[in-house]
Amino acid sequence: MAAAQPAGLAIPEAVALSTRRRWNASGVALLIVPALVFVAVFYIYPLVNLLDASLRDPNAAGVSLGQYVSVLNSRRVIATLERTLRLSVLSTVITLLLSYPIALYLIGAGRRIRTAILIVTFVSLAASLIVRNYGWLVVLSDAGPINQLLVALGIFAAPVRMVYSEGAVLVAIVHYAMPFMILPIYGSLVRLQPSTWEAAQVLGASPWATLWTVVIPQTMPGVYGGVTLCFAIATSAYVTPLMLGAPSTAFISQIAADELLIQLNFPRGSAIIVILTACTFAILAVYTLAVRRIGRAHV
Amino acid sequence: MFEARSYRIVTGGLAGLGLAFLVFPVLVTITVSFEASNFISFPPTGLSTRWYFQIGSITRIAEATLNSIQVALVSAVLATSLGGLAAMALVRSRIPLGGAVAAVLASPVSLPMVAIGMALIQFFIAIGIAFSWWSLVIGHVVLVIAYPLRTITSALLLAEPSQEQAARSLGAAPFTVFRTVTLAQIAPGVVSGFLFAFLISFDNYPISLFLVRGTLTTMPIELFNHINQNLDPIPAAFSTIYIVVLSGLIALAEKRYRIISLAIPR
Repeated sequence: MAAAQPAGLAIPEAVALSTRRRWNASGVALLIVPALVFVAVFYIYPLVNLLDASLRDPNAAGVSLGQYVSVLNSRRVIATLERTLRLSVLSTVITLLLSYPIALYLIGAGRRIRTAILIVTFVSLAASLIVRNYGWLVVLSDAGPINQLLVALGIFAAPVRMVYSEGAVLVAIVHYAMPFMILPIYGSLVRLQPSTWEAAQVLGASPWATLWTVVIPQTMPGVYGGVTLCFAIATSAYVTPLMLGAPSTAFISQIAADELLIQLNFPRGSAIIVILTACTFAILAVYTLAVRRIGRAHV
Repeated sequence: MFEARSYRIVTGGLAGLGLAFLVFPVLVTITVSFEASNFISFPPTGLSTRWYFQIGSITRIAEATLNSIQVALVSAVLATSLGGLAAMALVRSRIPLGGAVAAVLASPVSLPMVAIGMALIQFFIAIGIAFSWWSLVIGHVVLVIAYPLRTITSALLLAEPSQEQAARSLGAAPFTVFRTVTLAQIAPGVVSGFLFAFLISFDNYPISLFLVRGTLTTMPIELFNHINQNLDPIPAAFSTIYIVVLSGLIALAEKRYRIISLAIPR
């Protein structure tokens, strides 16, 4: 019809097109349904169940905070929570200090070096956590390179036990978190226009002054993203403290998992993991508010 | 800013330190994998490749690796399909509360994995499919769906809609437009999302720990058990192969699809 009556086609064709487009638009919106159903059934519902279980007390009917009271009265849980949060803050700070210079170096590097470093970062990101922790087990072991070096230099007479300690866990968590810090900071550095720091330079600022007053403040979104991610990764660490730590250096995820796997106490394990999640989100919320305040001060 | 000599020396030095920290354990692992004796030591007491030939003889690790590859493949296909369709809907149409929906779909990444594992195993026991192969896959899809969702969303935002309009106005059917134009445009997002979903599923320990039992097992679980119970260099040989294959895969995907630029947060 379009070919036969070119002159009279404008209006019906437009109507047909717009109807089809409207149909397409709602059709496209429906593509969300499979993912939504999947996530509702296999993620939201089980999590709501977990939350519900944590609010049940075997000795009382209905909703009760009994599990939480008992968990928060346990000295072991409190000590573990304190250790988890302390090592998480510490590892996030160290990760930031180690990662920022790498991201900074990346934007100044040539294309080949930059690609090589980014691939190393990506391989670290994707390499099995078990494999990476195993690497640290070897590095820090009694017969490992660090002990060998310290003994050869005469700093220690005999190898020192470094594995199965808080320090070993800290080192491995920093190693695990670094790629998650490098990439967002690099992302925010890439978006910076060279003209911003060129202007500072032309006006006579030293490289360090430029870095401190121009570049670092503008990369705060990347730093914020990296810090948030690394802190969440660290607080929920499970495999790393399991492999490099001792029972006395356990993280919250470990005692929550043990409640379910060893004690078969799902409600208590649920309460512990809910407390961990709540603490993580609360600290990140405070951090977000602080960043907004300081961010406004910078503007 | 990059010309001043003191600046370049200091940032270069600090960056070198950080990178050395990042690669050091990997280099040590590769070195000790060539140990000749039965126990790990550094530097190796003698060089040999015999541990590489022994990996296959540890049947549990070999079988678990095969199973993990299957689980990761199916999980990545499912996650890429579900995540890709969701990304299409979120980018190409106005969904009520679209931002909230996207946040929920992306949230499994930021929850403690132990929480997801605990919640899922209770649920699977309740509906009677606990410790089955498919329940393991479902657990992994929940965890990895966020990655293809994010990479395909960024690919769709970068895509040029005018090419689709051109194809449509030339009379192509919607599915043909999708297959020949849209898919070609978002290929890097699909590939990197799939790759990440695969790798994260392949590597998962804390969720699998709750979902496996008996003969149903995965590579990380068996590798962990082996490391815990033995001091031989087999895990080092296994790790070396893993890292070499992974580096090849990532370098290839970067060369062909520029996946790195897509995965860098904006």
